[in-house]
Amino acid sequence: MTICHNIQSLHLLGSSHHVAGLDIREKISLAQEEVDDFYKGLSSLPGLDECLLLNTCNRTEIYGASRNGFSPNILQKYLSEFRKLDPDFLHKHSYLHSGERVVKHLFEVASGIDSQMVGETEILGQVKKAYEDACRRKVSGKMLNRLFQKGFQAAKWARTNTGISRGQVNLGNVLCELARRIFGKVSNTRLLVIGAGEVAESAMEAFRSRGSQAITVTGRTFDWCPLSRRKPNELAEKYGGFALAFSKFQESLHHFDVIITSTTSGKSIISSSDVIRCMKQRPAKPLFLIDASVPRNIDEDVSIIDNVFLYNMDDVSSIANENLKSRMEEVNRCRNVLGKRALRIWEQMTAQTQSASADSQSTTPSP
Amino acid sequence: MNLNDTRELLWLTGGLYGTALLFGLFKTFKVKSVFREVPLILISLGFVIHTRALYLRGLDVHGCPLGNTLERAQFILWSLILAFLILRFIWRLDLLGSFCAGLSFCIGWITLLFPGFDTAYWLKDDYQKLFSSPWIELHASIAIFSYGLFSLLSIVCSMYLLQRKALLKRSFNKFSAFLPPIHDLEHAAFRLLLIGTLCLSLSIVVGAMHWLQDPEYVTSTKLFISIILWLGYCTLFFLRYSNLLFGSKFCKASIGLFLIAMISMGFLNSKERAMSRPQPLTSQIELK
Repeated sequence: MTICHNIQSLHLLGSSHHVAGLDIREKISLAQEEVDDFYKGLSSLPGLDECLLLNTCNRTEIYGASRNGFSPNILQKYLSEFRKLDPDFLHKHSYLHSGERVVKHLFEVASGIDSQMVGETEILGQVKKAYEDACRRKVSGKMLNRLFQKGFQAAKWARTNTGISRGQVNLGNVLCELARRIFGKVSNTRLLVIGAGEVAESAMEAFRSRGSQAITVTGRTFDWCPLSRRKPNELAEKYGGFALAFSKFQESLHHFDVIITSTTSGKSIISSSDVIRCMKQRPAKPLFLIDASVPRNIDEDVSIIDNVFLYNMDDVSSIANENLKSRMEEVNRCRNVLGKRALRIWEQMTAQTQSASADSQSTTPSP
Repeated sequence: MNLNDTRELLWLTGGLYGTALLFGLFKTFKVKSVFREVPLILISLGFVIHTRALYLRGLDVHGCPLGNTLERAQFILWSLILAFLILRFIWRLDLLGSFCAGLSFCIGWITLLFPGFDTAYWLKDDYQKLFSSPWIELHASIAIFSYGLFSLLSIVCSMYLLQRKALLKRSFNKFSAFLPPIHDLEHAAFRLLLIGTLCLSLSIVVGAMHWLQDPEYVTSTKLFISIILWLGYCTLFFLRYSNLLFGSKFCKASIGLFLIAMISMGFLNSKERAMSRPQPLTSQIELK
């Protein structure tokens, strides 16, 4: 019985996009300045030997290691008190795991298969940062150290041996990938967005995040502020772009490598003759056109011009869907393997704890 | 394996290039985990053995080995791999290596499979040195090196056309995802055309000096084909430089011109006919 009492277990209390919407996650999430106080209270919880906080925009998770007898509900109680939340509300929008399920969950989080954007790689860096923070605070011990080291290995394995990150599923990222296959570095391409719309905004964000410094926007309705009726300086601040008068854009087409149209004009605003004229001024440079409008804004005949690549929304969406499909197949495969791996690791961890307890019992027998 | 036998070494070279191609494809498609640099190591090892094989043949023929179809093909493949290895340092393109290795493997082994391509002309009683002077030897080797560059140009153009086709047909398989961007490929093709045309022009200048001194050593067929090819590449360069020909049309023209160059090589080999003449044998492939 003494041995059983010494066996350590793992606990997890978390809330993520799976169980809570953005407005709820905002209530549960901890501000950076609160983390110190939170850790102070957390590490002094009775029975909790080790703890670690993973706090990102999509998830707030508390990992803990304790001796048998510790109730994970204490974590829930502590968090609800700290964040001044109704315990039932937190209970409804959170999950509690123990033992092997904690290992499996961490493996899935670190590898990115539990992320909102499946297969994204940013989460691994966030997990590493959270682990380093816990180590610095000396609240992570033998059990959590082993758990997280194994988690990093599992994430590395998943990225190397499965296709969970293969292909882009965000429309903006798909457009960037296409631009990369045409121009190489996306940061060197010049983007023109005609009109507003989700695809256009998504593309601008994706291009900006890849270092594109030359984003220009123009619009039929708003001569100065084509997107969201913002002032040009606000627009420039958000996307690092410039505003171009709508009356000028047709004579400036040759300055741009990628052109996205997303207007509701219902008629063609870029004709074959416009593109032929443009290509004469940039003969050996390819031109990538994306028609994200319905009805379409770019003449279909444009696609037969050499060095011109015209895509419409159906093309882009089908690529994204195909990528997502192949990614999800890989996710299932990855989840199965990580589950088996987690079970094996958990068995090793419990076996080690048992043998350590037995050793300590044999060397220091209780009086 | 006899490491002093040219043909055995060439078989081994082809095998190494073929293995490099396989590893390159494994790496691309991630069929299984392999070392990242294995294809490059295999190509480099193949190149070293290839060099030794050509060196040994050069000792046999007392000059640059360009006397029969096998030798010319192997010399072009050697130049192709050399150009790739130089480019590899400034332009990291693993898939280009796979393409080069694949081409070298296929053509290398095909030329070895047909004994008729490798006549032992240097064993004949009336054999005289292939080249009448070291300058002509230099001319021939620069010309063949330019052919190696043009073969690399054709590979780059093929990659361009594959990538373009994938983009136009909206086919996004793993293979096309690993192809380089078409903009980079077109730039690379232009640079290769520039260097290749310069090398060919240099060899033509050296060959022309020889022809002016000893016109009887150069047949009119060789002269005509050499000038046509040189003009062809100069025209192609001019059209590309002035942006009159670019994109897919430029790539198709480059591949077409290279195929013509390869076919015309058979006409450039007039050694047998020249040997039957009473005059002394010298270079019959000088103006390639």
